[in-house]
Amino acid sequence: MQISWNWLNEYCRIPLSPEEAAARLTVTGCEVEDIQRPCKALRDLKVARIERLAAHPERADLFVADLDTGRGRSRCVTAARNLKNGDWVPYGGPGSVIADGTVLGRRDFDSIASEGMMLSAEEIGLPGIADEFGILRLPQGFSAGEDLVEALELDDCILEVSVTPNRGDLLSLLGLARECLGVIPGASLKPTDMGEPSSGGNWPLSWDGLYLEDPGCPLYGLSLAPSVQIEPSPMKTRIRLAFSGVRSINNVVDATNLVMLITGQPLHAFDLDRLPAREITVRGAKEGERFTTLDSREHVLSDADLLITSGGVPVALAGIMGGENSEITADTKSVAFESAYFEPLRVSRTARRLGVGTEASYRFSRGVDPSRVLPTLSLLSNYLLGQTGQRVEKEVRVARTRTWEKRKVVLTRKKLHRVLLWDDMKEASAFLERLGLKEAGSSEEGLEFEIPTARADLAIEEDLIEEVGRVRGYELVPSRIPPLLRGTGHVGDEVEAHRRIRITAMSRGYLEVVTYSFIHPRWTEWLRIPESDPRCHGFPLANPISQDQSVMRTTLLPGLLQALQTNIRSGWKDPIRLFEVGRVFLPAEKEGDEHREILRMAGIAWNGRDRRILYDNSMKDDLLSVKADVVSLCQSRGLMPEFCAGREPFGHVGQTARVTLDGEPSGYLMSLKPGILRELEIPGPVFAFEVDIESMLPDRGFRFGQVVRFPAVYRDISLIASLDTTVASLEKEIRILGGPLLRGAVLFDVYQGKGIPEGTRSLAFSLAYGDSSRTLRDQEVDEVHDALRRNLAEKGFVLR
Amino acid sequence: MNAIQAKLEAIRNQYMEALVKADGSESLQALRVRYLGKKGELTQLLRSLGGLPPEERPMAGQALNELRQEVEASLERQAVLLAHAEDEAMEASDRLDVTLPPRGRGWGAFHPVVQTMNEIIDIFVGMGFSVAYGPEIEDDFHNFEALNIPPHHPARDMQDTFYLNSGKLLRTHTSPVEVRSMLKWGAPLRIIIPGKVYRRDSDQTHSPMFHQLEGLLIDEDVSLADLKGCLNTFVGAIFGRPLDSRFRASHFPFTEPSLEMDVECFACSGRNPACRICKGTGWLEILGCGMTHPNVLRYGGIDPDRYNGFAWGMGPDRVAMLKYGLTDLRVLFEGHGSFLTGGGY
Ligand SMILES: [Zn+2]
Repeated sequence: MQISWNWLNEYCRIPLSPEEAAARLTVTGCEVEDIQRPCKALRDLKVARIERLAAHPERADLFVADLDTGRGRSRCVTAARNLKNGDWVPYGGPGSVIADGTVLGRRDFDSIASEGMMLSAEEIGLPGIADEFGILRLPQGFSAGEDLVEALELDDCILEVSVTPNRGDLLSLLGLARECLGVIPGASLKPTDMGEPSSGGNWPLSWDGLYLEDPGCPLYGLSLAPSVQIEPSPMKTRIRLAFSGVRSINNVVDATNLVMLITGQPLHAFDLDRLPAREITVRGAKEGERFTTLDSREHVLSDADLLITSGGVPVALAGIMGGENSEITADTKSVAFESAYFEPLRVSRTARRLGVGTEASYRFSRGVDPSRVLPTLSLLSNYLLGQTGQRVEKEVRVARTRTWEKRKVVLTRKKLHRVLLWDDMKEASAFLERLGLKEAGSSEEGLEFEIPTARADLAIEEDLIEEVGRVRGYELVPSRIPPLLRGTGHVGDEVEAHRRIRITAMSRGYLEVVTYSFIHPRWTEWLRIPESDPRCHGFPLANPISQDQSVMRTTLLPGLLQALQTNIRSGWKDPIRLFEVGRVFLPAEKEGDEHREILRMAGIAWNGRDRRILYDNSMKDDLLSVKADVVSLCQSRGLMPEFCAGREPFGHVGQTARVTLDGEPSGYLMSLKPGILRELEIPGPVFAFEVDIESMLPDRGFRFGQVVRFPAVYRDISLIASLDTTVASLEKEIRILGGPLLRGAVLFDVYQGKGIPEGTRSLAFSLAYGDSSRTLRDQEVDEVHDALRRNLAEKGFVLR
Repeated sequence: MNAIQAKLEAIRNQYMEALVKADGSESLQALRVRYLGKKGELTQLLRSLGGLPPEERPMAGQALNELRQEVEASLERQAVLLAHAEDEAMEASDRLDVTLPPRGRGWGAFHPVVQTMNEIIDIFVGMGFSVAYGPEIEDDFHNFEALNIPPHHPARDMQDTFYLNSGKLLRTHTSPVEVRSMLKWGAPLRIIIPGKVYRRDSDQTHSPMFHQLEGLLIDEDVSLADLKGCLNTFVGAIFGRPLDSRFRASHFPFTEPSLEMDVECFACSGRNPACRICKGTGWLEILGCGMTHPNVLRYGGIDPDRYNGFAWGMGPDRVAMLKYGLTDLRVLFEGHGSFLTGGGY
């Protein structure tokens, strides 16, 4: 909201500079975001009168004006076509400065010299005050040579105020003036008595009535201007509106806006002759009813919306915008002015649902002061008569279904002290009085205050404590560490697990990333995830910002692949490993259950492209190097993962593993499908894993092993097995057949090719035999080892 | 000196001369044979001792023995020295340029926000707060209503909230976890709530997804002074030195009174009107806070007459950006290698 400093000072005298006042308002909760001086660049501009206007002798598109500048004559050349003899205009002579900083001089226009120029509204920094195209014509009543800035009171500054949603009362000059009085020591309020208008039926035309059929409108006032002349507003009004950021339309509409800026009460003007009937009914809209607002947008309404109707026809969306069908036009002859109270939630609901925000809906949504609804009509009629000569009927028509009692709230010494560690009730009361609250009673516990109707936000004791606290200053509250200690804090399993895992990943060369929780909906298709897979059914957002962030992720893989793509597209060529811990979002497993949010870790490794690497092959990642990462990550939480051949829709058919933790399937390790790599334009293989962290959350501690005091005896075994026999199954076989003396079996060679039958491979294990209580004799070991060989041979393995 | 002693002396001198000249294990072996071998000089001399008069024998024998031991020891010592010299010569010829790059994977990189979040967590855990979590897909009740934001209230601007088709929403703040935690654990309570939050907003300083870290302390007799103390301590810890702070009045539906905390610009302390970090104001907006609204306590099943408390919410993304001098929020979620590695890849 833009506030003119000069205008504000007409309601409250503030003994501070605008900057000081802004700082004080900001600290006390009404943030002033910016201070602008729209006319600060202007220098030496004058008011001048056109003595003689003539066509340029050589140029058909130009005119020559002789001006009375108060200190003699000046001649100006202009292209503007809106001037005539006797007009008053802003004038900048040679050496003067206009709004954009241009220093004016003399300039020749085909043999005629222009000494400076006559100015448009834009050139004095206020494009909004123009009421026609061309040079700004000023009203009568100035004298030639008068300083323009003084004459038009342009030496003003504009405060850009950001009002929190609870403080609807600050959306008006009167409200801000009250706030300034409350928070700025030495400020004084200038009395403004608007007076309640008399209500009755004495109108010079027949009127059938006002009907309130919906509790959303408990108070409605209407005043009448029976014969108006629609014309531009006076210059002063136009400047005020421009400084307030409001567009000037015409005298009638501007009057409603100007008065709203003062009191905070939005008004609406109907063209009385265009109302379908001489009556107004406020009612709820019918579901599906259509209405076209004056911005020519048609809206489909719901039964929660509130309508102003006349003769059964909607003429305004209550508190938001009037209709095209009754708006003020250049031909309007008589006007009805509406001032009403609409329930804040009704207005805000409709305005938000329809996406229509207006100055009126903004104020109604935050609650207007019901005690100002009718007096605002008095102010309006005073303004219209005084400033524009338009007469408004003395009596207003009023319909009312509710009255407002002033709320009373008690402030206790105990609670005040609890929050602020301070309890001077006398001073507290003085703070509140300056904010407009009245002390209405006292008891041993505290004081009772009567709350002005403008302050709907003050409802409970805590609200009063805030008022006292902010005016007194939070800097006066001491700072202390809470005295009551309740034991140590706990980081908890999730943070603990996450920390362990991320440090492990980083020390294994991964870059930690955080990617968006929402992804492009086509990722499931790109990753070939079938309908039958729950990961195909991520929750779509009902109102996404963009398509590529429109579905909640069901896997961390897309985010990592997208990050990789981003890197590759920006020219990254080096090997890179990315790692993320985050939640995925899956539908409920069965009807009626909650959705699932599962904490996962995932990583991808890519070997780069077009780069020569010093240690070439030993530096390249493959499925097994990434497998080592997965093992380490799980081990960092005391878990040993198991791997077996698996399938993933996006996994290389021959290089995909299912990862099992504690016997539960927990994720995958895989090389991305070559076809997907091609489609995603990622050159070379990508190895990836994704594992649930949930089962890694509990701290399992660690079980240490036995000290070995008697050395093991080693024997090697080499056998030929079908390619279908996995190393894991073979190891298991050996462990079972090896008996109690076998301590361990370590694979040390795998060979496939020449000398070995097709479809098989040779595997060599180093076996360690031992006993915890003695050193084994060779002969003993040989016996056990030979038995193992025989058993393996019986199982069909060819031993070498 | 008798003849035998003179002889020993001569042998010793001769031996020492030869030892110094010995330049390898072979020449040492030759020396050993020459003096200590079966036909070695000292061996032969030993045999000749029998020809001496009996009273001279012990002394001559002892002298001879001492010389033998000396020869023995010096040969061994020399053998070790020679072996070391040979090793070193071999090592010197097997030189590796230690400035070659290391082989294997180096350290990866941390994400600034995750790192900062962890630092913040530690600071508050140190003050007795425990970590609490809650869902990111929330319902209207926990995200709004229980936080004293009634339906259709202007404080919940529809434009800001992402909704799912089911009517659920992506939490717009971590505050719903306050209510969930109150209902779960009751009072007294001291928790911090880190996590992702979502708002329908995207530009250089707004990301549709960002992080929050919320805190809540509920106890008997809690003051704004406690809030100031905790937050001032936090600021000093996260920025590495005590910084001036100020508390401005503000409004949040779930706190009353509500405040915003600004801290002294750590870059210029308000002394540089052209400062890029604070835009010349000298202050950095860092978090919103306040005393928990009695309605919120009630929704959390806590008696507001017995207990009160304070809460705050801050953006770890912003803290991280301030800490690491970052300007574009969105970059945080794109995973650029050049960004994360400090460009040093
Ligand atoms: Zn600064």
